[in-house]
Amino acid sequence: MKKALLALLVLCMSFAVFAQGAQEAQQEQIKAVLLTDATGIDDKSFNAAAWRGILDFYGDNGTGRGVLYENITAQSSDDYVPNLKNAAEADWDLIITTGFTWADAVEQVAGLYPDQKFIIVDVDYLTQRDNLIQYIYEEEQGSYLVGVAAAEQAKADGIANPKFGFVGGVAGATITKFEIGYIEGVKSIYPEAEIVDFYVNDWGNPALAKTAAKSMYDQGVYCIFAAAGGSGLGVIAQAKEERLAGKNVWAIGVDSDQYADGIYADGKSAVLTSMLKMVENSTIDALKKVSENIWKGGVVTQNMANGGVGYAKTNSELKASAAAAADKAAEGILAGTIVVDKTYKAAQAKGIAPAGLGAIDD
Amino acid sequence: MSKKEKQPFIDWFLDSNGATSVAVVILGFLAGIVLLLCIGKNPVGLFTAIKQSIIGKAAKGGGWNFRNVGETLAFSIPYILCGLSMGFAARVGLFNIGAEGQYTMGMLAAHIVAVCIPAFPGQWMLCVLAALVVGAIWGGVVGILKAKYKVSEVVATIMLNYIALYLYPLVCLNMLPQGTFNKTGRTADLASTALLDNFLIKSSNLNIGFFLMLIAVVVYWFIMEKTRLGFSLRATGFNKDAARCSGINDTKAISLSMAISGAFAGLAGACVILGLVRYSKILTSQDNYGFMGIAVALVGNSRALGIFLAGLLFGILKQAYSIMQGMGIPKEVVTVIEGLIVIFIALRSGLSLVKDYRAKAKVRKEVSK
Repeated sequence: MKKALLALLVLCMSFAVFAQGAQEAQQEQIKAVLLTDATGIDDKSFNAAAWRGILDFYGDNGTGRGVLYENITAQSSDDYVPNLKNAAEADWDLIITTGFTWADAVEQVAGLYPDQKFIIVDVDYLTQRDNLIQYIYEEEQGSYLVGVAAAEQAKADGIANPKFGFVGGVAGATITKFEIGYIEGVKSIYPEAEIVDFYVNDWGNPALAKTAAKSMYDQGVYCIFAAAGGSGLGVIAQAKEERLAGKNVWAIGVDSDQYADGIYADGKSAVLTSMLKMVENSTIDALKKVSENIWKGGVVTQNMANGGVGYAKTNSELKASAAAAADKAAEGILAGTIVVDKTYKAAQAKGIAPAGLGAIDD
Repeated sequence: MSKKEKQPFIDWFLDSNGATSVAVVILGFLAGIVLLLCIGKNPVGLFTAIKQSIIGKAAKGGGWNFRNVGETLAFSIPYILCGLSMGFAARVGLFNIGAEGQYTMGMLAAHIVAVCIPAFPGQWMLCVLAALVVGAIWGGVVGILKAKYKVSEVVATIMLNYIALYLYPLVCLNMLPQGTFNKTGRTADLASTALLDNFLIKSSNLNIGFFLMLIAVVVYWFIMEKTRLGFSLRATGFNKDAARCSGINDTKAISLSMAISGAFAGLAGACVILGLVRYSKILTSQDNYGFMGIAVALVGNSRALGIFLAGLLFGILKQAYSIMQGMGIPKEVVTVIEGLIVIFIALRSGLSLVKDYRAKAKVRKEVSK
């Protein structure tokens, strides 16, 4: 009898525990929506990275799409605000947007729906609100590392007076951070190195970027850092051709590890390293803050310290000395002994960046 | 007996352009439903989203929210205006594929006037006027080339679309005053007096552009159906040579029709930047309103009322587009439905074959009697 009672008790308790567990699981299932421009989540860049963060958070390989999380794309330049309002009136716990194109729309709509949580990545100048987190990246830190790695690689290759190139998308304060960080990284190894730069003025024109890269390699540039979105693929394509022709030159990728884009022969890639900007970290961070109820509006900075930026070591031809130097620079940045500038003005004042570059500050 | 009753219906259906348009739209939606079922989605979401866009009653929670109606009407403004642009040229026998470029240039003109001129009350009227004029020039040039030098209006307008698209950032970045803060992707702010006022449903984008659009629809109908000019335009459309023989100046008709067509599209551009976007955004990719205007004009059969109704339909689909994505309906479905509606419009020529066949059969029957 006692045994039977005990068994019953155990059964009841286990039920209670299970039920509670089930309840908890229910509570954890927050719902999030990613609003993008017309390209959607297949852009192999920004939107794709934000989407990757959502998939990582839910960890279900996309089976929850349409129920727990979804992507809503815009059709034209005028439907950002209506799309945000439509999403805010549906029952999403979090609305995710990326890039400055959404800044004005988020500014307007976040104020109208104080109970709806919003995040925006790569923007830090909107009004401070309790329901809005703005994520900003310190890209200059990661760019400094790839600059160091490229310069150290040139040193190990025994190149006399190497030149370094930079190809940017559209000139502006954001891309200037990439260029200045890269220049300061290179100059920490070669203080007299010559720097050339080119702005495509388009994120989606690889053909023009390729021509620019060719003329740079022709005038003896050793390595080009392409921070130009889709245009950057042109630089990588040209680096592939140069390496196939037997020249020792490199390209550096941006945002995600572009090693695979640079593969030209078995196990060989023209992408020496990539400056990593982990946009997915921001979406994961925001989703965690919502689900764990520790949400707090404001500006969040993503940098070396919280793994928001870094560099890739996928290429086996990246010399150990180059990787070691970059790692050491990373430690220096973390410890605060190395401070990387964000603006062209500041770098010029220090005498590091030469005059006449295409970079502009806001 | 029943057969006799049925026959007039078929004849009425074959004769009525409105009925075929409705049938085509229904066919498009049916295909959309089949597509959704094939990929294992519930088509109900499509219709709840569309219902929400039309009557404003939210699917979840069930509350009334007229913001949805406002957005739908606001989205239909550029669709209807671009439809008028396409339709006006089509009635004169021209294929104005350049509404997109005329729209872009109208938008640019409105943008420039709203940024460069010091704010004064009623500035939006000057912006709209500038958009009308620039749109008319952008279209009229093609009309003159076509009328005088036989340059294909299709090729010329396609090229001008791209020139307009690249001219926009070029002018904005190099000639307009830049903002003092947050410069990327925008110029100095639009003057607040240049914006088209939100009215009626304040929470939505619905603005006075809606009235401008209504006026444009009436003007379209009046010019086309009620004036001598409209008659000469239509005559040129039916048969250019015959029109010329009967004393109609076809060069003037073609140039003028392209200019008026461009003015409609230019007005659409002004309504979008001053009423819907509402800030000094630099256009970098095509908004596709001009191209969708072709579909609107086809569905509306280039008649004022038809274009108005077809434009409303496309406005509904645009507002439903983002709502249904939130319900797990793939966005491609809307594009497929819109595309299929355009393809099914080709049935119209198929129907005229049926009509011919039936007429011949009738004659044959009477002869054999």
